[in-house]
Amino acid sequence: MTVLTSHLKLLEAESIHIFREAAAQFRNPVLLYSIGKDSTVLLHLARKAFWPAKIPFPVLHVDTTWKFREMIEFRDRVAEKYELNLLVHTNQDGVEKGVNPFDHPPSVYTDVMKTQTLRQALDGGAYDAAFGGARRDEEASRAKERIFSFRAAGHRWEPRRQRPEMWNILNGRLAKGETVRIFPLSNWTEADIWRYIALENLDVVPLYFAKERPVVERDGQLIMVDDERLPLKPGEEPAMRKIRFRTLGCYPLTAAMESDATDLAAVIEETLSAKFSERAGRLIDHDQAGAMEMKKREGYF
Amino acid sequence: MTLAALVDRDVAVAAPAEAAGSMLRLLTCGSVDDGKSTLIGRLLWDSGAVSEDQKASVLAQSQGRSNVNGEHVDFSLLLDGLQAEREQGITIDIAWRFFESPSRRYVIIDAPGHEQYTRNMATGASHADVAILLIDARHGAKRQTRRHAAICDLVGIKNVVLAVNKMDLTGFDEARFREIEADFTAMAGRFGFTDIQTIPVSALTGDNVSEPSGNMPWYDGPTLLDYLEAANPAAEAQDAPFRFPVQTVLRDGDFRGLAGTVASGAIAVGDRITDIRSGLAASIARIATMDGDREMAAAGDAVALELDTDLDISRGAVLSEPATAPVNADVLEARIVWVAETPFDPEAGYLLLTNTDLVSVSSLSVSALVDFETLQSAPAHSCAVNDIADCRIMLGRPTPLDLFKDLPATGNFVLVSALDGTTVAGGVITWAQSGASSSENRYVLSRDLLARGLCSDLGDSPDDRAEFDRRAQEVAILLRSVGVPVTVEI
Repeated sequence: MTVLTSHLKLLEAESIHIFREAAAQFRNPVLLYSIGKDSTVLLHLARKAFWPAKIPFPVLHVDTTWKFREMIEFRDRVAEKYELNLLVHTNQDGVEKGVNPFDHPPSVYTDVMKTQTLRQALDGGAYDAAFGGARRDEEASRAKERIFSFRAAGHRWEPRRQRPEMWNILNGRLAKGETVRIFPLSNWTEADIWRYIALENLDVVPLYFAKERPVVERDGQLIMVDDERLPLKPGEEPAMRKIRFRTLGCYPLTAAMESDATDLAAVIEETLSAKFSERAGRLIDHDQAGAMEMKKREGYF
Repeated sequence: MTLAALVDRDVAVAAPAEAAGSMLRLLTCGSVDDGKSTLIGRLLWDSGAVSEDQKASVLAQSQGRSNVNGEHVDFSLLLDGLQAEREQGITIDIAWRFFESPSRRYVIIDAPGHEQYTRNMATGASHADVAILLIDARHGAKRQTRRHAAICDLVGIKNVVLAVNKMDLTGFDEARFREIEADFTAMAGRFGFTDIQTIPVSALTGDNVSEPSGNMPWYDGPTLLDYLEAANPAAEAQDAPFRFPVQTVLRDGDFRGLAGTVASGAIAVGDRITDIRSGLAASIARIATMDGDREMAAAGDAVALELDTDLDISRGAVLSEPATAPVNADVLEARIVWVAETPFDPEAGYLLLTNTDLVSVSSLSVSALVDFETLQSAPAHSCAVNDIADCRIMLGRPTPLDLFKDLPATGNFVLVSALDGTTVAGGVITWAQSGASSSENRYVLSRDLLARGLCSDLGDSPDDRAEFDRRAQEVAILLRSVGVPVTVEI
């Protein structure tokens, strides 16, 4: 049996409890899978919660078409390995209108290709509950979130009207038009995620480990040239640097960090001693003050 | 550090006896503006749990705010993550923060002080092992301080730190500190707290937060951080009765596992268990997890149990050992905290939600309210938002219940509005009994009884029949509102 630190054991049991409660209380849940390290742990815990039965709900990836290529390859490998009912949804309207992260400000791009896409997919599948891998330690407005996070019609989060959530009793009764986002990893930290990945020996996207990759430097941030769609500015020349990613999103909007951490042990050590928070590398979070809260109010997970 | 070293270190702290102490859940509460968010912000800042970009952001925003604390950092910005909170300079909802000391993981739950947001404080308190109750040294305990103390007591917190804050604004006056300490000790006698530590602090300047204060040489107790590092909230008794609320049934081929988390006690393969709802009994054949089968499971373990006989057991059942089963109760008394904006309405429909069971409430009657000035209970028949009330609840059918003082995990519940699904109250069970819904304890409101008196003026016309029904229902409502279980048989 896997040996866990004692607090990881508590966190694991809590997450399994949440998955089982949600599966028992909601009619039609879906798991939002975004391929990164948190989704990896989320999926693993879902498998544990229902083992030996299969995960009793589909797994949904909202594809902006701007993910790193290695992420998509990894997603398809995982789906096959665990026989997942994988659904991929892209906002075709946004694609046809040519919405992209270069010609549009991050807030517009995120709204059209992520938030609206997610809402389309959730409405399309008539899901009453969606699991997400969000953690309270990620960001100040997420630190305020419940485990069962209710959304009014139109997927709006109303932070001033959150339901009381006492003890470990999870109340999943919905009013008309309401849906719920469920966050089984609420009480995990970034370091917990990495320790758990190490102890449970989970596969993650190779982009988390340092390797020579082509990058350009923009406004002090390192952007990886993942494909030919990244328009180079005059005088810009991609250079090979030893980089890795602390968090994975759309490649033009996710900054890399220079690192020598080529294995899990080194990644954990780097995470524990990091002086900057994880989302410092997410460009969309800094577009304006309270950016995450605004996105969440509009239906972002 | 190598991975091997990390795993070794983790194994070293994973001894079973340490498991409960590996995580300390800490609540900060108290009245508005007594400095809760500032204290926690200071604790995080001093303990190295704040990243450079968060520090830079806080420093930048501290200068932009009107109520900047002189040259000090506005630590509350680390916790108040909502736009409305930052704009108004108040805490609306609880914030969850995490940090690690060399010895344990801390979960910090920062609760709002405003009376309006008491529901959020109650949410936070129900998850905490230790409460830090803040008092402004200049003002002493306020009404909201007493309300928060009462809620901490209700949800089962035993360890309380009374942090007398803003000592710098009283000139670090020992006499003032002792006065507040004596006042609180007298008040705390009403509660079930078993460990109370009073500490004079200044969150703003950091005195006695993580460093001993040079300004208060008269205080020789621990700093806040020292106290927390040593705090050891009473772990569950070794011989606590086994409770396993069934969440769902997992099926795969021949496998039929009852999935759930052990709420208390422990169970081993071969042990005899019972489902008190049905009275059925069986033996544990297998304790299954994806990591392999286990010989035993203890409180906190999420597992799937296979029984040696295929019993009809479903979600809502609570498995126990036959000799120490819960009460399959349909009447209970409880202390509740009302958290909905809408006041209690004896005619509205409510549901009682336990760990995994949802039962309709056939009647709910309030008998007393806690007065937050005197902390005494006074007779009452209604309750509204932020009230603490004693009540009696009749259920539509029996469900397994425990007394909260014996087994907190299966002795609590929330009340849910049948209309819109919102949580209206959280409660702890003080008394529970089965058989109350059987005929001998119910008052039967029969046609004959009503026709003799109250409805003697009514005849057989459709209008009279409707009026008969209306009067019967009104009488039932009145009787239920004072706790009498009623069946209308007309």
